[in-house]
Amino acid sequence: MSKLLVRSIVRPEKADEVMKSLLEAGYPAVTKVPVFGRGKQRGLKVGEVTYDELPKEMLMTVIPEAEKDFVVKTVLSAAKTSEAGNYGDGKIFISPVEDVYTISSGVKEA
Amino acid sequence: MKEVMAVIRMNKINDTKRALNEAGISSFTATGRVQGRGKGMVDFNILHGAEEGAPEAIAQLGEGPRLVPKRLITIVVSDDWVEKTVETIIMTNRTGSSGDGKIFVLPVLEATRVRTGETAEGPCGGDVLDSSGGLK
Repeated sequence: MSKLLVRSIVRPEKADEVMKSLLEAGYPAVTKVPVFGRGKQRGLKVGEVTYDELPKEMLMTVIPEAEKDFVVKTVLSAAKTSEAGNYGDGKIFISPVEDVYTISSGVKEA
Repeated sequence: MKEVMAVIRMNKINDTKRALNEAGISSFTATGRVQGRGKGMVDFNILHGAEEGAPEAIAQLGEGPRLVPKRLITIVVSDDWVEKTVETIIMTNRTGSSGDGKIFVLPVLEATRVRTGETAEGPCGGDVLDSSGGLK
């Protein structure tokens, strides 16, 4: 079965919540990377001050293809700041993964 | 072209760098400290401490998995170099216990060299990736 890499870019304050709901949903394996970025709104303007790049956390997890919709739903419901959502809540990118190896055993996973 | 993405132990980064270089794979991107958790639901230090009866270790039991600091490395190579890259990373990083990390191989559609603007598609990466799998 082929696997997918899900990269979720979420608000730093929401990262723990997303990690927790992924764990509860049965996805314990996650890598968290601190990143900076901007989106369609070109950063953030607060009065006179413009923030070109905003801090986010990127959560990377590799999942079986069949479970994509469930994982996306899990991340979405945990990462949203309100029912309707707000600018800056983040994005989810999904890309194919061809092979997965576990280093400790050296085994290529199916 | 393939992107080999590996999550490895913090203290293995220098060995990995050296081994990859010796294998002829010189191009390499390392992300600073990342935090992660794997399938292992147990922190061995805490477990060990709890076995010895340290009260602070026992208090931490059952709090769920902890995030472990790791290094994330990404290497873009042509298709015929993937096997060698993966093998090199496994050989250098393998200690046999859990927490050694994972390697993911992802497809890359296109690579462009910023200096000249030349673009390459397809399995070998053409001019942008040379035969050694590294950037010229």
